[in-house]
Amino acid sequence: MEHYSDPPLLVLASLASGPKHGHAMIEDIASLCGTRLGPGTLYGAIARLEQQGWIEPLPPEDRRRPYRITAEGARVLRAKLTTLQRFSKTGLGRLEAL
Amino acid sequence: MNPALARLLTRIYPRAWRERYGAEFEVLLQTGQGGLRTSVNVIWSALGEHIFPTRGRKMDQPIRSFGTIIRRPSAFLPVAMSLTALSIVLGYVAIFGAVRQPDEGATAHLWQLLMAGQLPVVAFFAIKWLPRAPRQTLCVLALQAGAALASMAPVFFFNL
Repeated sequence: MEHYSDPPLLVLASLASGPKHGHAMIEDIASLCGTRLGPGTLYGAIARLEQQGWIEPLPPEDRRRPYRITAEGARVLRAKLTTLQRFSKTGLGRLEAL
Repeated sequence: MNPALARLLTRIYPRAWRERYGAEFEVLLQTGQGGLRTSVNVIWSALGEHIFPTRGRKMDQPIRSFGTIIRRPSAFLPVAMSLTALSIVLGYVAIFGAVRQPDEGATAHLWQLLMAGQLPVVAFFAIKWLPRAPRQTLCVLALQAGAALASMAPVFFFNL
């Protein structure tokens, strides 16, 4: 329970602060929630997010390809985070009532 | 990570995936931390990509029909094996009658080999094709099961 692990959501949340390439995403996600995604896991999430049109590739920079979140991706991220916020608020409220 | 190992790990992925992500993925592996944990992560993800591919399924790709899938060796071989097993049993009954052999003879062993041998082929077919074309694959699997049941029926019916 220490680390939150939903790779596609973590990638979307990382890209919400601006375009990043793979290595930068891994470092950003590690600092964001303590989860260090493996390269296979990261690119599994990237491939699926790109397929869904939630992120898009930018021109490569020195053999590294940055990605950015799309408008649809931002909408999906907002919806997921809102649900998580509601969930955590309710959960914490119940804990306080104990 | 060692560039040679990074290249080797990238090559585990399917060709369609490598064509899209291979170069950037290799650079990521080279710049990142190596070690057993990373290698296992990559191998596991590559296996997942083989089973549930994200690349190589373009939007304009024609929908796979039942006819296309049944032509795959892993689709028709189990059916052919079951039908061969069925014809062996029926041939045996036609020549020797519905008589149970005192010990398991060559016919029984051949039948068992044909029936057991198709199991890994069916498993391979299901793993490979269910994610790509579920409906058509289920139809082929039903056909394979029907053929297998048909070849088993005379064995149980005649108590061979």
